[in-house]
Amino acid sequence: MGCSYFFAYVHKHVPEVLASFDFVFIKMLSRKGIPDGPFDIALVEGTITEAWQADELKIIRGQSKKLFAIGSCAVIGGIPAIKATAPELEVEKRVYKNLSSIHSIKPHAVDAYVKVDGYIRGCPPAERDLYEALTSVLTGRKPDFPQHSVCIECKLKGNLCVLIADNMPCMGPVTNAGCGALCPSMNRACYSCFGPMKQANGPALAKKFKAMGISRDDIIRKFTEFGADTIEFRKAVEMVYED
Amino acid sequence: MKIDINYIARVEGESSVKLEIEGGKLKELRLNIWEPPRFFEGFLVGRKFDEVPDIVARICGICPVSHMTTAIRAMENAFGFKPSTEVKKIRKILALSQILSSHLAHLYIFALPDFFKLNSVVEMLPRYEKEIKRFLRLKDAANSITSLFGGRALHPVSMVVGGFTKLPSKADTEKAAKELESLHEDALETLKMASELKCPALENDAEFVALTGKGEYAINGGIISSTKGLNIKEHEYPSYFIEDEVPYSNAKRTVIKDRGSLMAGALARINLGFDNLLPDAKKASEDIGFKGGGNPFLNNLAQAVEIVHAFQECAILLRGLTLKEYFADFKVREGVGSALTEAPRGMLYHYYEIDRSGIITKANIVTPTAHNFLNLEESLKKLVTENIDKPEDELILMCEMLVRAYDPCFSCSVH
Repeated sequence: MGCSYFFAYVHKHVPEVLASFDFVFIKMLSRKGIPDGPFDIALVEGTITEAWQADELKIIRGQSKKLFAIGSCAVIGGIPAIKATAPELEVEKRVYKNLSSIHSIKPHAVDAYVKVDGYIRGCPPAERDLYEALTSVLTGRKPDFPQHSVCIECKLKGNLCVLIADNMPCMGPVTNAGCGALCPSMNRACYSCFGPMKQANGPALAKKFKAMGISRDDIIRKFTEFGADTIEFRKAVEMVYED
Repeated sequence: MKIDINYIARVEGESSVKLEIEGGKLKELRLNIWEPPRFFEGFLVGRKFDEVPDIVARICGICPVSHMTTAIRAMENAFGFKPSTEVKKIRKILALSQILSSHLAHLYIFALPDFFKLNSVVEMLPRYEKEIKRFLRLKDAANSITSLFGGRALHPVSMVVGGFTKLPSKADTEKAAKELESLHEDALETLKMASELKCPALENDAEFVALTGKGEYAINGGIISSTKGLNIKEHEYPSYFIEDEVPYSNAKRTVIKDRGSLMAGALARINLGFDNLLPDAKKASEDIGFKGGGNPFLNNLAQAVEIVHAFQECAILLRGLTLKEYFADFKVREGVGSALTEAPRGMLYHYYEIDRSGIITKANIVTPTAHNFLNLEESLKKLVTENIDKPEDELILMCEMLVRAYDPCFSCSVH
């Protein structure tokens, strides 16, 4: 939903990218049609929400040397995964009277269906990580994506902690870095649009929120805005329910 | 003969046009918007009002500012909150910067290659390097305005109910204004380029609908006006506009009650608000003999006029900022709130019912492309009927060009 359009935002390096890569398929940019593989790199955007997408994804995986998930939808299920936090039929009924031509399945990230070689996180995806993915393929090395939390980025920037100092329910401690601590730098709490950092301790932060006086439902919403389909954040939600 | 145009490139989202010609006559034509639904209106129920702007931003990677602003204004209407003049100015700057980004991308990347008989903007290099470089300069400037206020050009983070969480410094806004002013010539060149594109003739009797304002080129709110005499307030929208499901499409279709199809977008805004354009944009437009019109292909040209206008209005607004009173507290209360804005592609409507703790109990979103859906289909029928003898390849390209001229966002239309 616009991650391919994201190329229009990272055009600073367009000449370099064009010099090194042939874009054989970006529907948003070219009328050329669907090419046959094999492909060196596949960048896959979007949450899988219909069965044919999973089928197509498997075909693309089979034809691609490297497959990267780009953007929070593809990486962690993202915003569309909120749908599965309620009975899905109920959610669908709120939108359509006639559901006979709707073929939606439970929303999932790309790696629910295929092996992924790397994650270009974020909504929008981190520009630096996109170049890192591309250059890693060019140079034949493993891509180096940030694996620390947004907290580290705040410290590097010298930000005052909005969680401790301002009592804002900041998701920074459990959120993967890559945005440059954008929200805390703009006087607001991180809402985790980059999704959970690997092995983040969701339950610990949920406990902290509870101690701050934040209601159960508000805590659940924090952990299901972008990370509803992730183990790290599901653990926090389960903890809150059990508590 | 059946034609299935199932690969419509260089638009946002997924659709196909299926048509059947029998005995030299068009028998049937359907625009099938098969973009998979994400059910935003369904899963917004149960979410809290202050999350909604960040969530609805993700409906679109091109017009997040519009979805955020419309949702924020709807919440503020529900709470009976009135934002400061300064907040309104900044919201307009952001909206204009996004109109610029969207129009520039549409004109140069989506629309232009057709006129040079090329598949993509990449194929335009190296021959059209001058145009591409101009595009990159303009696009960069538009993006930098959105990120100056929003923290980033896509999915800005500073826009909240009540105002903004942080603002740039006076030095930064002055610098940005100067930068925009320096691009006036590039904007005029873009208009000149758009005026030289040869478009097929196509009559279109659509009712053009846009928000209008008194002495202002309306973007964030206004009077809902049409070329056939509609003149209503924002909250009256549901009594005049009817949204319905279409059996062959995931997008719903909106019509004006008892009247039928409508057309929203840049051409509608020009048709209804030409006199409110800034003098330079108005003059530049008159100089090329354009004051609006019915042919939907003119939407490309209307966007170019808006580019000239938006760069200038953005700079004027930037110069007039005090950078004070950018946030005010509000009281959450039970209520119903709706709002309309002019997204780059046309009129956008958000509606919310909110309970006393600020939780959404009902949501409805009608996007520009849902407003344009029926008229686009009718225009396609007319185009095919009038060009029925053309070779299939040519006919297919013409249909695609028409779809692109409407600048649809099929992802938004399904949401």
